[in-house]
Amino acid sequence: MEIFDIFLLEAILNGILLGGVLALLALGLNLVFGVIDVVWICYAELVMLGMYTVYWLFAQYGVPLIPAFLLGILAVAALGALLHYLVIQPVLSSAPINQLLVTGGVLFFLQALATLVFGVEFRNIGLRLPVLEFNEMYFSFARVLAFVAALAGMVALYLFLTRTYLGTAIRAISQDRAIMPLMGVNPKKIYLITSAIGGGLAGLAACLLVLQYDVHPAIGLSFGPITFMICVMGGLGNMVGGFVAAFIFSQFISVGGFFFAIEWGYVVAFAFFILMMFVKPQGILSRRR
Amino acid sequence: MTLFQRLSGACAGVFAAAFLLAVPAQADIKIGVIFDYTGPFAAGGSQAAAIGTKSAIDIINERGGVEGHKIIATYADAQSKSEVAINEMTRLLEQEKVDLIMGVFSSAHCVPMAQRVDQLQRFMWANVCVASSVFKDKNLKYVFRSQVHSDQFGEASCVFANENAKSRLGKEPKDLRIAIIYEDGPYGAGVASGNEATCKELGLNIVLKEGYAATSPDLSSLVTKLKRARPDVILHTGYNPDITLFLRQARELGLKWDALIGHGAGYGQIDKLRETFGKDADFIYNVDPVAAQLLDPKTLAAGLGDVTAEMVKRYKAETNAQEVPPHTSMGFNQTWIFLTDVLPRAIKKHGGFNPEALRKAALETDIPVGGTIQGYGVKFFGPGTPMAGQNERSSPVVMQYVDGATKVVWPAAIKTVDPTLPLPKGHTYAK
Repeated sequence: MEIFDIFLLEAILNGILLGGVLALLALGLNLVFGVIDVVWICYAELVMLGMYTVYWLFAQYGVPLIPAFLLGILAVAALGALLHYLVIQPVLSSAPINQLLVTGGVLFFLQALATLVFGVEFRNIGLRLPVLEFNEMYFSFARVLAFVAALAGMVALYLFLTRTYLGTAIRAISQDRAIMPLMGVNPKKIYLITSAIGGGLAGLAACLLVLQYDVHPAIGLSFGPITFMICVMGGLGNMVGGFVAAFIFSQFISVGGFFFAIEWGYVVAFAFFILMMFVKPQGILSRRR
Repeated sequence: MTLFQRLSGACAGVFAAAFLLAVPAQADIKIGVIFDYTGPFAAGGSQAAAIGTKSAIDIINERGGVEGHKIIATYADAQSKSEVAINEMTRLLEQEKVDLIMGVFSSAHCVPMAQRVDQLQRFMWANVCVASSVFKDKNLKYVFRSQVHSDQFGEASCVFANENAKSRLGKEPKDLRIAIIYEDGPYGAGVASGNEATCKELGLNIVLKEGYAATSPDLSSLVTKLKRARPDVILHTGYNPDITLFLRQARELGLKWDALIGHGAGYGQIDKLRETFGKDADFIYNVDPVAAQLLDPKTLAAGLGDVTAEMVKRYKAETNAQEVPPHTSMGFNQTWIFLTDVLPRAIKKHGGFNPEALRKAALETDIPVGGTIQGYGVKFFGPGTPMAGQNERSSPVVMQYVDGATKVVWPAAIKTVDPTLPLPKGHTYAK
């Protein structure tokens, strides 16, 4: 059996597409941490609620897919703002461990709420997307879409943060939250907007995941830990770092899983993560001080 | 009637009433029932099994209980987490003071629970979990299971493939390419090890054997490896959502096969598979203890057909489902066996329902084939044997989904249709 064959190439390319999904997930979490300095442990549960929103709108109420997506993104953006207003804001000045615990509490609350409201059934939107075939290699259309969306989301966020007044204010407050109020920036408002954008990115991820996965109350378990690890490996709050880390991680999973057993792909990825915590604890793109 | 006779009669009546009031009511039998009512296992079959279990208990109570004892069931949610299952079991035994533990869907819960119960010398009646490792070489004394075990699942699919290799696939068994994929918990690993042992014994060509985590967010590299290995038959053991993820990614990445044989859990949920994959779910095989309603009641002991009909009626009333999954039969059947055979004997012959009495009664169980709603008989391997506590008469069947309906295709003695093998041309997964 050849080591470098068409199947390996397919595994590499599928790894890149998986990286797009993971990068998209990491984007919102990184933005929120970078600006507000709070880790939303419940981030994947927001994604889960976004998936349910799209499912109900599209599959149950017959709303066309694109409007359902837009409403899903808006719903999760509102949820992000609400999460900040009700849960994060009261503990902003508390110790980081308290902030972590409170968002952890929200995680279990949202899981239980989803179970009560939506039940334990696995639901899917029943959409059969075309399969992309190229030179005897096959690719998931939904994954390609997620990859493109991740790139577009990254570019749009970059432009927003660098080319708009609001974006500049967000970046400024992430750099020095003590001095910016003296310059006339209202941090409460900026935090709320950032949370809404973070939620909106979770909503965008939800739209793309609902094309690929069944939604159920525990789906966050599949993505939450891995998203958090990618953010840590990329440097919490470093969006470019998170983006790069997502693709490194996905290649370990995909190519590692192709050469060895699938679980070994994860073992190697986690071993690399631990190693990086020793070598570059500030994240893979951090500069040595 | 003289006045004396009337007075005597009245006095006798008064004494009888007084006697009845003076004698304490029969003690209730408290059973702790543990299933996954939430989390991914709930929709993967646990809830269906829990409904079956509850129906059996309700019917027995409506008939007056067991030997005059009412069954008081306390239902606990394991939340699809092993540590929660163990905590709930401890709570039920120590705080709720239940007389025994029953239920359990996931083998990942079952393995540690069984050992803990046995250490405590309390009694456990396992309903649904299938891993052979629950009993294998453990010499458990107080844990019993009349359900099929995973080695038998693994064996059935390989024997089925072997029997059909030449006649339907036109290949000698040694040329039949088999891939074994499984979730890597005790359930999947147990079935896969049974697959491997039997397929090797039969001389089938195993081209790939690989496990994965049931919560894995991506199985594309597994699918790519399968494409490279070019199996004719894929033997898959998984829960949900990994099964739907596999089927979806297999379609997207162009994986083809002649036969996909699942082994219970997510593959037992034809309604769900059909809802998700439509006609693509047709011709998938599932190895499981048979769903009782698929059996001809004439082949079973008298009265069991009515029991099955009642189970089906109650399940449909509760869920509005069209198909009753095998898990409902598993939950119902094991509970029925315990409440109608083991428990009455423990009370009548061994003086009650303490763990020792229940253990002795279980070891004396001797139900012939055809004596349960799922067809198989019950007799437990005795103490000191490698599978002590496991039913030695249990057996699974191979079913196939055809146009949304479930058909039995193996063993030949009870099959309802011939298998459609290989997949018909034009099917999404057909070669």
